[in-house]
Amino acid sequence: MSVAVPEARKPAARLRSDRRPGASAGRLLRLELRHNAMMWLLPVVAVLFWLTTYRKTMAMAPMWNLRAASLQSGAVIDFITPVVGAAAWMGTREARRRTTDLVATVARPPWSRLLVTWAATTCWALAGYLGCLAVVYGVTARQASWGGPLWWPVAVAACALVAFSALGFAAGVLIPGRFTAPVVGIASFFVLALSTELIIGATSYWYVSPVVTGPWDAGPDAGVATFYPYLPDLSIAQLMFLSGLTLAVLGALALGRASGAGRVRIAAASVAVAGLLAAGTAVRLAGTSRLDPHGMIAIPALHDAANDRPILYTPVCRETAIPICLNPAYARYLPAVATALRPVIDEVAGLPGAPGRIIEVGATYQQGSGNSVAISLTQPPRGSGQASVMRILLPDQLGGPTLTTSQLAAQAASSTAPEILARVVGNGSGVTPAQQAVWTGLLFAAGQKAVVGGPTPERVIGPPGIVSPGSGSPGRGSRAAGSPGPGSPAAGSPAAGYQELLAPKGSQAFAVALRFRALPAAVRYRWLMTHLPALRAGQITLAQIP
Amino acid sequence: MGRDGSLAIMNIEITNLRRRYGGNEAVAGVDLHTDAGVFGLLGPNGAGKTTLLRMMATAMPPTSGTMRLLGEDPGQYRPRMLIRRRLGYLPQALGYYPGFTVREFVEYFALLKEMPARQIPSAVAAAIERVDLGGKSRARLRTLSGGMLRRAGIAQAIVNNPELLLLDEPTAGLDPEQRVAFRALLRDLGRNATVVVSTHLVEDVGAACAQVALMDAGKIVFHGSPAELTARGEGAGAAGDAPLERGYSAVLKGARS
Repeated sequence: MSVAVPEARKPAARLRSDRRPGASAGRLLRLELRHNAMMWLLPVVAVLFWLTTYRKTMAMAPMWNLRAASLQSGAVIDFITPVVGAAAWMGTREARRRTTDLVATVARPPWSRLLVTWAATTCWALAGYLGCLAVVYGVTARQASWGGPLWWPVAVAACALVAFSALGFAAGVLIPGRFTAPVVGIASFFVLALSTELIIGATSYWYVSPVVTGPWDAGPDAGVATFYPYLPDLSIAQLMFLSGLTLAVLGALALGRASGAGRVRIAAASVAVAGLLAAGTAVRLAGTSRLDPHGMIAIPALHDAANDRPILYTPVCRETAIPICLNPAYARYLPAVATALRPVIDEVAGLPGAPGRIIEVGATYQQGSGNSVAISLTQPPRGSGQASVMRILLPDQLGGPTLTTSQLAAQAASSTAPEILARVVGNGSGVTPAQQAVWTGLLFAAGQKAVVGGPTPERVIGPPGIVSPGSGSPGRGSRAAGSPGPGSPAAGSPAAGYQELLAPKGSQAFAVALRFRALPAAVRYRWLMTHLPALRAGQITLAQIP
Repeated sequence: MGRDGSLAIMNIEITNLRRRYGGNEAVAGVDLHTDAGVFGLLGPNGAGKTTLLRMMATAMPPTSGTMRLLGEDPGQYRPRMLIRRRLGYLPQALGYYPGFTVREFVEYFALLKEMPARQIPSAVAAAIERVDLGGKSRARLRTLSGGMLRRAGIAQAIVNNPELLLLDEPTAGLDPEQRVAFRALLRDLGRNATVVVSTHLVEDVGAACAQVALMDAGKIVFHGSPAELTARGEGAGAAGDAPLERGYSAVLKGARS
């Protein structure tokens, strides 16, 4: 140890004027960033994210709505345990390392010192999250055919990380033990995961949970926020709740560590109370939520009517014999859907009753019992003069698991073909055996073989969770297809909703259907061109069908 | 008169200071007034030295009594913050963050002591040099020996050039060469600041302290110069190998009889 003459001491007043709190806080933050536990957990989080969220999200159609929602709930679940655990670990640091005596004698107030440690933890958590976000949105930007990134879900997840970090840190400071971090980290995961179990229906206080992005248990739905703008109502309530929670926790922590500073205590108490009020208000707002007709959660007090107007877009069309037009967000599916529908279109194009155009439209959503949601076609306004236009929903507008392009096209064909044929053959009351034979024969000729098994299909080939009529009331977590009548592919089976047109297996009509299918396509077409009005009028017998 | 020519304000003014832990009174009415210089605080285990030092470091409030440090009342928030900016403290059990380097550790406490940001780099380097850890400034604390850790702790205590420096067992773990150097450092620091050193090692007191107090059972039983303490042991037949040790033993024996 060397002896040196200390530099001349400055008067206290000059020391104070020399002090730049911002610069000191910046240096302190830099130090804390270099020695923060969250930094070491980022590789773990990255692996978790890749395993559970990234792969799932990337398997979804490259649509901003799907991926933004998946990112929000996925990232929150992936990050919560590491973030809460790391924050709690940092919160316990002074007690674990027995520096409490040392730091109790420094001039920087405890709340300020702790705030910097918390901020460093939160910075690392946000950096990790932003990295994940950049990858998902970067890839989506290259793949998506239409639309742009949704930022509300991004903000909710970011705010959730900040709030969790505050909660974990406060737990660490208040319960400074070695086991605090793992216990609160794991507990927070279960609290978050189990909170959604309490959501029943579209009106629930638990919608403030940041893992919720829409009607709970409905699963990813490509149809939401595609035809109508993304409703930020729920996101706003969640942001209010999470911000309030953060302020309340940090305010309470500062209040407990203000150590006699009157103004700090008042400020901390004010922040805590403001946070509690914000969080409480958000929970109350969430309790007034309802399912919007366009599939999103609306909160009346936060709702902007401008969001109820449909998004204007130019559809992408394939000029087949009957043109097929889809929302531009589905552009990548158009070739496959057109190819899948081509057999049935070739059978009926130009025939009386055949649609002049097939267009994809938005769905209408209606809350069912429990967490079921009825999804149906949005009907055109009366007198819109669009009788020749056939409106369809694509299967992934109905929620359920992610489909590949070929799966989606096949399901689109199997759900649309019966409707096209029904329009041609006639689907009123009192269907004749001849109509059954022709409809069934044409369906077979169009390559739709799923109904061969019997007159009453029991197999639901649509997305799991979609309940076909007659299969019982939808259970919790399922989506009930609402009135799968004409045009609705909701039941998933080609014959669903068209049982009256399906020729019963073993019947004479079924035999005629097989015979009709075996005819050359040109012969079938010519016969239909000649006899279709009589067939629709119920004046054709089975014997008259070639 | 003070060293700047103003009216004398003692750096430590303690009157009838008490601190209770439940039914046990660790500090039982201490009076202490001292100004710049190195002040030794001696006493057996459990005498109340660490408790007294912690109260002076503003780490804990007294149960009763009055205390003014550097002319300020530490019982009030703003004066307490002013004191802390001018205070250096080395606790008996030094806590530290193993992942920090020596430089980061000292810088961390410089920042917590709210030193002006521009002065921090040079102050940190100077403090590290003064404890002879310049060659280890980039070493992580987990890699240091006990003696080096103690020196890092001293560096953080002196980084802000404190006017009041409180050192609890600062030479524990230091080898003889380092202790000699440390005593020189103490004498140097004592030229401008009040340095209170709590220790078991009476030779440290003899070599570095101008004033010494001996505590027993929460009370100061002796307050004077090391020479006066030595004189108490002469001819008293007290135990001890060195004159100061014999004075220490004699005073304690007298206080307990």
